[in-house]
Amino acid sequence: MSWYGDAAPAGACRLTALGMINALGAHPAEIWPRVLAGDQSRLTPRSDLVAGRVLHVAEVVDPLPELPSQLRRYASRTNALALAAVRQIEERVRAAIDEFGADRVGLIVGTSTSGVGEGERAIRHHVDRGRLPSSFDYAQLEPGSPAPFLAAYLGIAGPAYALSTACSSGAKALASARALLEMRLCDAVVAGAADAVCGLTANGFGALHLVSSKPSVPFSANRSGMTIGEGAAFFLVTREPGGIELLGVGECSEATDMSAPDPDGGGAEAAMQAALLDAGLSPDGVSYIGLHGTGTRLNDAMESRAVFRLFGAETWCSAAKALVGHALGASASIELGCLWLMLEAGRDGVYPLVPHCWDDTPAPDLPPLRLVRRGDRLLASSRPVVLLNSFGFGGSDCSLIIGRAPPC
Amino acid sequence: MLTASIERWAAWAPGLENADEWDRWCRAPAPLGADGAPPLASVPPLLRRRCSRLTRMALEAAFRCVSDEDMGRVTTVFASRHGDAASNVSLLESLARGEPLSPTRFSHSVHNAPAGLFSIAAGNRRPSASVAAARGTFPCGYLESISMLTRHPESPVLFVMADEPLPPTLAAFRDEPPGAYALALLMVPGGEVDFRPAMAGERASRREWPDALEFLRWWRAGGPSMTLSAVASAWTWSRR
Repeated sequence: MSWYGDAAPAGACRLTALGMINALGAHPAEIWPRVLAGDQSRLTPRSDLVAGRVLHVAEVVDPLPELPSQLRRYASRTNALALAAVRQIEERVRAAIDEFGADRVGLIVGTSTSGVGEGERAIRHHVDRGRLPSSFDYAQLEPGSPAPFLAAYLGIAGPAYALSTACSSGAKALASARALLEMRLCDAVVAGAADAVCGLTANGFGALHLVSSKPSVPFSANRSGMTIGEGAAFFLVTREPGGIELLGVGECSEATDMSAPDPDGGGAEAAMQAALLDAGLSPDGVSYIGLHGTGTRLNDAMESRAVFRLFGAETWCSAAKALVGHALGASASIELGCLWLMLEAGRDGVYPLVPHCWDDTPAPDLPPLRLVRRGDRLLASSRPVVLLNSFGFGGSDCSLIIGRAPPC
Repeated sequence: MLTASIERWAAWAPGLENADEWDRWCRAPAPLGADGAPPLASVPPLLRRRCSRLTRMALEAAFRCVSDEDMGRVTTVFASRHGDAASNVSLLESLARGEPLSPTRFSHSVHNAPAGLFSIAAGNRRPSASVAAARGTFPCGYLESISMLTRHPESPVLFVMADEPLPPTLAAFRDEPPGAYALALLMVPGGEVDFRPAMAGERASRREWPDALEFLRWWRAGGPSMTLSAVASAWTWSRR
């Protein structure tokens, strides 16, 4: 029996190591202090994405690695972001390949845009000159592009595929990685997601009136849309017990609309409930909730209702997207990375919390949530357990629960 | 070993619409057409209008494969290598010309558009995954379907693979057997079809037809086993 009780699935699912890059920095050691400080100074104003508008974008400003020459045909910004994150855990992945064999190591990558940014430049070239640029290769653009690229880079010979369910892609990657371990098809899985800012998403969300010109203020009365972001986060997931474990996954489809959530939060609530059931926990077993918190009118309204119905007003909550932006298909992996760092940083039962950065103006029509202020700490007497929400276009909802095992 | 039974199946391609036509095709395959779209009579017109040709094919196969009583309770896996490449190229052309983007076209450009539209049309609130894996998309989608069965053994999985040729702008990158098609399989745990990583010496079949249809040919009219490659791995199906 594992440490979290009888309801647990057979075999642990440990998030062994994390590699991450986002607007706040090139790796977790840079990112984490800026998360805790609520540092929004790196949001970049850009006037080149949507005609006539300046958008604050959470873009990665650090230089990205070049892809190895034999894999250059995959050269997209999304794949370069993925490479930057994966290189941080490369040693651990290669050790897993040595230990278990290349065919026992898998790869699940979430992405929503893949190489759409490179596709934009190629199609503009085609519109202007009647031919595609010589630098373009369809391997950059195709929806599953990061899967063959990362598998080839890392020497993975087990299952390798991409999941693309819009903004829940990164969460679903962890769900499928756990299944590969449970099915005993793999002994280790590299799981995470990558996505890059591009004109299509900025203009598309703009056309749907979902993008804010100012940095987003989730759950505020003044919220007017999201801050678009980008980045990548990957975990090495293994079956060994201990450390930080994936305890629960809850997935559902909303079946209501392609771009707007169920206004009452029924889908969000069902996903959170399914994750609790999967983890064998009741709502009071969760100490903190990483909100999807896009800063759009509809998301924040429905999500606060769903969270309030299930957890009341006493559970700590915050939306990391005000800091790291909405990194689309990579958002859940990046935000799970922040939660992972939070659990890693705890000492003697005291855990720092991701602050909720906004304008301190509660929306009178939304139920109250216990939003984390800078410096708030979680006091966890035993095992801290946290939940992360992600909701995507097409009504694709996924909640994840992770927790830190007590020392043996 | 990952075992499943295929309880029902349905496929659609231009000129190949019912099981008899497909069984004849499996025994004596001929090149697939690339033009035409299915009627998708089971989806209300308002919703149907928002479906691209790819989604229409996927949903035609999906709705033929599930009974009315199952359509709300199946979990789903939708796989496509290219997704809606034609629509996406046309969105990027609009963007290049500085035209305003249609919010509806944008929200339907996600890879999980067929999954989302199926869930809406079927009133299905169950878990769903959308897979892409370059030339290994079919075996990986099948694997994700087995994974879905493992995670949610209480209900069948509806696995739908659909693809169409890359649009003319990207024609130079066509590297697979041509044709537009959708295949839907209703899968339940245990039973008749084993699936596992290929063993040393098991060679992948020659790819004369899209992988999903190579699978259909094997399952309806083929030998004891079949192997297909996927990215860096290869996968073998065999009959019990």
